[in-house]
Amino acid sequence: MADSNSLTDAEIMLKVAGYDSKALEQLYDRYAPILYTLIKKIITDKDTAEEILSEVFVVVWRQIDQFDFKSNNVYSWLITLARNKAIDVLNRNGGKIMPEYNDDYERENIVPKLSSEIEALELADVLNNREKLENALGSLTDAQKYVLELSYYGGMDQEEIAAKLNIPTVTVKSKLQVAFGNLMRKVSEAK
Amino acid sequence: MDKKKSLDLIKLEVLGCLNDKDKESLEAMKTEGDEFPWKVLGDYQNLIAHLPLALELKYPASDIKDKTATKLYNIRDQIKAKVEAKKALEMPAQPIEEISEPEESIEVSENFEENVTSEQIEVEEKVFAEVEEGIHLNADESTPSNDEPVKFVSNFKEKSEPENLPRQISEIETKEPLKTVVDKDIIEKVTRDYIKSHMEREIESLSKSVKKNKLLSFILFAISIILIVALYFIK
Repeated sequence: MADSNSLTDAEIMLKVAGYDSKALEQLYDRYAPILYTLIKKIITDKDTAEEILSEVFVVVWRQIDQFDFKSNNVYSWLITLARNKAIDVLNRNGGKIMPEYNDDYERENIVPKLSSEIEALELADVLNNREKLENALGSLTDAQKYVLELSYYGGMDQEEIAAKLNIPTVTVKSKLQVAFGNLMRKVSEAK
Repeated sequence: MDKKKSLDLIKLEVLGCLNDKDKESLEAMKTEGDEFPWKVLGDYQNLIAHLPLALELKYPASDIKDKTATKLYNIRDQIKAKVEAKKALEMPAQPIEEISEPEESIEVSENFEENVTSEQIEVEEKVFAEVEEGIHLNADESTPSNDEPVKFVSNFKEKSEPENLPRQISEIETKEPLKTVVDKDIIEKVTRDYIKSHMEREIESLSKSVKKNKLLSFILFAISIILIVALYFIK
């Protein structure tokens, strides 16, 4: 039998799709720290963040049939799922009027819809890119970093950011697009 | 398709901050044709997923694993509840008269047994096997005691592993027409078994008391004869 650590993320996901609980545990061991770090950045309360982390794996178990085994991008799928889940809780706890949370809602709004042409990414590969990303982020202006943060970690849309910063929505839109574009360019250059 | 516009909208979509109008425009672009830059969308989705790497790693409490295991166990309950609700919905669909006339049922079932084909037996066995599987799951499903520490690995195996339960559900769903055919037979069989198990005792006790009464009558008759004979000789 292959050592569980030698299995790729995609191989683990395949086992999870067969409702192999041991595989889900492996996935948890591998991904819990990075997912928890992301969730904790969005939801500062420790208990709520831990609850969300647990819920993320429940969603994985429940919605595993939604994972695209052709593109096999486990990393982005899990990160996006965790982010969507945390932002959803943030909005609900913040008193935003949200639709009822049910299976359909979960499939539509929490389970990521990644591009069919996305490149496969695994946690092990991504961890090697850490320095490149930090350098690329370092090259952005403070204002650009701030709007990115408000959007990605704060779950704010253009109008909410505009209201918070007291600037026109068009400006927010362009700042976000420029910031994200610059980030992509810097990361690509570093490859 | 306006390539620049689609690229701008892709960036906003990936960040999750499209407004409704832009969302509609982007959806229209996606469905419009083959020109949509799916590869670019994928690249931006991968890039945004890199952002948490810049954060200082934090670790969840160790008991979250156990909590997750318990939640998965509860999901199995939900799935099973759905299956049972479905079964319950199927049952009232049966004609009531068949159940409320046990005498007729006995006759029908006796004839049924004679006329039953090997194919029907096979189908019946299949359904009973399913029922038994359900019972097995029930038995496995006892709620864990609060004192018992919930271990992630073992509990995942014991509690949460639904053994492809969703697939079982879909299998059961696909077998539905088959099941409704044999449901009548099952009801007859169940009725027959019920009557057999409940009435047999009564019939047994009735026949015992009849025997007792017969014996008593015979004894009384014998005593009467003896008394008559005795009176005759005394006279």
